[in-house]
Amino acid sequence: MSHISKIELVIHSLEDLKEACRQLGFEFIENQKTYKWYGRWVGDTALPEGVKIEDIGKCDHAIRVSGCAYEVGVIKRGEHYILLWDYFSAGGLVQKIGPNAGILKQAYTVARVRKEARQKGYRIRVKKMDQGVRLVLTV
Amino acid sequence: MKEIVIDISDDGEVRIETKGFKGKACLEESQFLKNLLGKETYKQLTPAYYNTNKKKVKKYLQLCG
Repeated sequence: MSHISKIELVIHSLEDLKEACRQLGFEFIENQKTYKWYGRWVGDTALPEGVKIEDIGKCDHAIRVSGCAYEVGVIKRGEHYILLWDYFSAGGLVQKIGPNAGILKQAYTVARVRKEARQKGYRIRVKKMDQGVRLVLTV
Repeated sequence: MKEIVIDISDDGEVRIETKGFKGKACLEESQFLKNLLGKETYKQLTPAYYNTNKKKVKKYLQLCG
């Protein structure tokens, strides 16, 4: 072993986000400027950094998840993207995308690493673990 | 064998662990993943990091003679 790092995921690639949606059976809707949510801010949680109440419901692209009343908004912030969604249970999103959109972020990470690692000549193995996914790159 | 293990939990947390590297090679080899995925929020170097092919790590101190 040589070192361990933890990474806070930042979404840079729209192509890999689209691939993640394909893998999960979600529909990525390019240039949809609003996403479905409860529709009224009730102030029950803190807003994500840099997001104002008037920004909620607006997006650059959206993700539609089958069986869910609400959608995920994809918002461009400079060189990266953030995801906004309403986790109110009536919307059904948390069961499909995971808490903190973890399932979607997981699929994005797998798509992103797979593509780049393959180009760099690594051998890649993907294993399903109890509470996540493991990618093993062999040099 | 040299490996880079990436664990992505169901809540989206990403953890990278390098195995089988000696010295700074592990940092160089895994840097592309950090650039690719986001911001490094935590890093722990393990004993192998301080072990290079050039320098032998002494296990015992020579006390006399």
